[in-house]
Amino acid sequence: MRRQSLTAYGFLAPYLLVFAAFWFWPIIYSFYLSFMSTRRLPWTFNPSMTWGRVAQDPAFYNALKNTLTILAIQVPVMLLLATLLAVMLNSKLLKARGLIRFAFFAPVVIGEAAYAAVFRLMFNTEFGVINKAIEGVGLSRVEWFSNPDAAMALIILAVTWRWVGYNAIIILSGLQSIPQDVYEAATLDRVSPRQQFFYITLPLLKPVILFCLVLSVIGSMQLFAEPYLITNVGGPGGATETLGLYLYRQAFLNLNFGYASAVAYTIAALAVTISALNLWFGRDKT
Amino acid sequence: MSGLLSSNRKRSLALHIIIVPLALLWVFPIWMMVVFATRPDSAIFSSEVLLTPGDRFWENFQLLQDDLNFTRTLFVSVLVALIYTVLSMILTSMAGWALARYKFHGRIAVVGIILGTMTLPYFVVVIPQFIMVARDFGLANTWVALIVPPLFNSLGVLFMRQAFTMMPSELFDAARVDGVSEWKIFLHIGLPLARPMLAALAIILFLASWNNYLWPLLIANDTSMMTAPVALGSLFGLLDVSWGGIMVGAVLMTAPMLVVFVFLQRFFMAGITAGAVK
Amino acid sequence: MKLFGSCAIVALCMSAGLAQADTTEVTVWSWGSAAPALDATLNGFNAQYPDITVTVEKLGYSDVKSRVLAACAAGGTGLPDIFQFQNVEMELIAAQFPDCAADLTPLGFDADAQAAFPEFKLFALRQGDRMIGMPWDSGPSMMFYRRDFFENAGVDADDIVTWDDFAEAGAKVQDANDGVTMTNDNLNGGTEWLQMISNEQGCGFFSADGETITVNQPGCVAALDVVKTMVDADLMTAGNFGERVQNLSAGTVAALMSGAWFEGIVRTNAPEDQSGKWGVMAMPSVTEDGVRAANYGGSLLAIANNSDNKEAAFTYLNYALGTNEGQITMLREFGLVPSLVSALDDPFVNEPSEFWGGQKVWELVLSRLELIEPMNGTAFFSDADQVLQSVQTKYLNGEYDTAQAAMDDAAQQISFATGLSVAE
Repeated sequence: MRRQSLTAYGFLAPYLLVFAAFWFWPIIYSFYLSFMSTRRLPWTFNPSMTWGRVAQDPAFYNALKNTLTILAIQVPVMLLLATLLAVMLNSKLLKARGLIRFAFFAPVVIGEAAYAAVFRLMFNTEFGVINKAIEGVGLSRVEWFSNPDAAMALIILAVTWRWVGYNAIIILSGLQSIPQDVYEAATLDRVSPRQQFFYITLPLLKPVILFCLVLSVIGSMQLFAEPYLITNVGGPGGATETLGLYLYRQAFLNLNFGYASAVAYTIAALAVTISALNLWFGRDKT
Repeated sequence: MSGLLSSNRKRSLALHIIIVPLALLWVFPIWMMVVFATRPDSAIFSSEVLLTPGDRFWENFQLLQDDLNFTRTLFVSVLVALIYTVLSMILTSMAGWALARYKFHGRIAVVGIILGTMTLPYFVVVIPQFIMVARDFGLANTWVALIVPPLFNSLGVLFMRQAFTMMPSELFDAARVDGVSEWKIFLHIGLPLARPMLAALAIILFLASWNNYLWPLLIANDTSMMTAPVALGSLFGLLDVSWGGIMVGAVLMTAPMLVVFVFLQRFFMAGITAGAVK
Repeated sequence: MKLFGSCAIVALCMSAGLAQADTTEVTVWSWGSAAPALDATLNGFNAQYPDITVTVEKLGYSDVKSRVLAACAAGGTGLPDIFQFQNVEMELIAAQFPDCAADLTPLGFDADAQAAFPEFKLFALRQGDRMIGMPWDSGPSMMFYRRDFFENAGVDADDIVTWDDFAEAGAKVQDANDGVTMTNDNLNGGTEWLQMISNEQGCGFFSADGETITVNQPGCVAALDVVKTMVDADLMTAGNFGERVQNLSAGTVAALMSGAWFEGIVRTNAPEDQSGKWGVMAMPSVTEDGVRAANYGGSLLAIANNSDNKEAAFTYLNYALGTNEGQITMLREFGLVPSLVSALDDPFVNEPSEFWGGQKVWELVLSRLELIEPMNGTAFFSDADQVLQSVQTKYLNGEYDTAQAAMDDAAQQISFATGLSVAE
């Protein structure tokens, strides 16, 4: 084992070096920063200005509320769509499978800046194709960028569009790993396809769906690029400011590193808690 | 729904009636990207309904270049992504190899720490990373700053660990009996066997680096070192920028990745699913 | 013949090479409306200093700000030779990055040179005994309005003295002109009217010494109430900068209040047929005899401390901002109001402007300067601005009972964010 240890660490060393420098050390430094007041030079130890402030900062709660709203709506909708999509993609009756898969997966390949640009044009209040379609069927146009609810809807639409395909592929692979005999046996037992879906497929898919759920939760908690680029840095008036955006503002526009670190750790704690809750509720009850 | 009952045709019809329009809806924004990139601003911001591409790609490209040297940013993005991918593959395959094929003190701890990093949001580390790289090392706007810090990403390690775990030991034991060194075993047996996984990983890494937005935004704001996504985003706020030009930028940024995707779909899928289905 | 040719070519190359060696290149970062103004000074500048090439890079306002901050945080790497910054935000740099901007005093901006500028522009630029920027323009707030819309409604701009008068006029103007809103403010992304009217009423976000928070003093509270009155009476809709420009071009807004530098924006963006239909008036006040002046915006140019071309950069700075020639060019072309006191006596100031219906615009604008109360931005200006934005939005939505309650809450939040205490 000793010789193996040496060799093993030899192989591990380069990665561990980078890891230590750019993840491990920052974690500690960030924790240290979260207790410092960085408003003026020199930085001083003052947790009430960081942790104390998080508890009472209305702007933080606003960002939290927005993020949780997005989480609560977007994640379930997206997972539902992704599951349905995976089921459809799995169907033997599907033609042009490759093309359809491409259609849903391409959004992941597109970078955030590029698709933010398209969405801004498509949802432009006066000239966007979406509003033209809405007006075309006789409804009044939606103020996508100046109405807080519409802006939130826009973000949710964008994020869903982007990630459905990704999650569908993962769920699809989960579907494909369920052995056919299970279904054949069930069919022989006269179990209807719908019952098969609910009592066989879904339970077997649970781990995969949970995996997607946790990934989505962590991703949503950090949502930054979409509100930054699409709705003009969290507009209108902070209606789409997410925790990620709030953090960016505090850290890199106000240069308040101490407070931002406290916020970052708070977000981390929340994300871990929500994920843990999800995993706990989704655990196999034996 | 994977049953085999009668009236398959009815099912097939129902299936396609739902999924085909949905697929078209999903592709619509990408289609519009091309449409916008080939139309003049005056047409984009008018009451016309534009659904087909025009012929103004070149003019829009010129407008984009006037606003900002976009081709330079594409160059930066490509180079950074390439070097990042190569370096990351080396680091993660070596680390994955070690975690998969050797028993050693602290193995469980190392795996645990790496797994744990995936739950902590990136934001917790990005602030100190910025302070460290920009202020303490003075490396803002350098290639090193763009490439090295993101290398801490742990998904690749877990990915390669899984790849190497699945290989039968006999292959390696035979070589060891012959007195081949561990490094050569890794290099000449392990790596080649892992080729499909490596290909999938390479694509995922390249894509991640290419689309990375926050870190380059923070660390490379000089126009000569900006990456393409950051450069594109910086144009959104300008008063009299050409949106047709911005869309050309979007197309230029996206098209290569889409083409790679079309040809290497299988590797993409493999990369994504391997992480999920353990 | 061949020998002669090649000699000529060598000579040409050598002289070109020599010329290259003599040219110093200076880069400037500046934003949308101000950048073309700098461009306009280049001809005159190069006539006197042909060996300095100035490149003005035009970026978005928030881009310049965030890039400068990031570059300063990185110890100065990536900064251009000269960068533009808002007066009100410069103290952030002085406080957090004391070594980022160069001291202009040894370069030539000594006490005598400084005396050419008014104090209210200079005090934000002092960092101990260093002088870290040169004042550029100031932004006396003016109300830019459409004469023809007012005429249609039978409203005379001279009769508007208070905000109540303005509201009354607004109702009439909207009735008489289809599809026209009286005014816009950046309600979703800023606190522009709030800042301007607060300043007018003698209230700043922070006290003059920058040590206490004063947003809940009577002047600022009154300002918030004016905004609410306008919104509640449907006289004001939200519009960011780009949208306001679109609205004025499309003729859907009757009056816009902003710093005097907005004059150039209106003039260069309005379609041809609007020339002669615009006018400028002083901003209304809260009371009949109240002050009718405030400052909004106004920038400076600073030199990066690690620039290799500080002398050349200062030469340009001095020309563009420190001479009548430079400042008046920018005034004439883009409506940037000079801070330079001597520029105010230039004959151009008394010329009537065709676009503004023959009005002597600059006379009116410059008459405001001495009435402006200086406002201390402090290093925490953006924190205060962010808090006020969200408090303003909430108050407009009816989430506070009174403006005083809203501002008290804002003061508390700002106190928390900055560590400063709220003034009594």
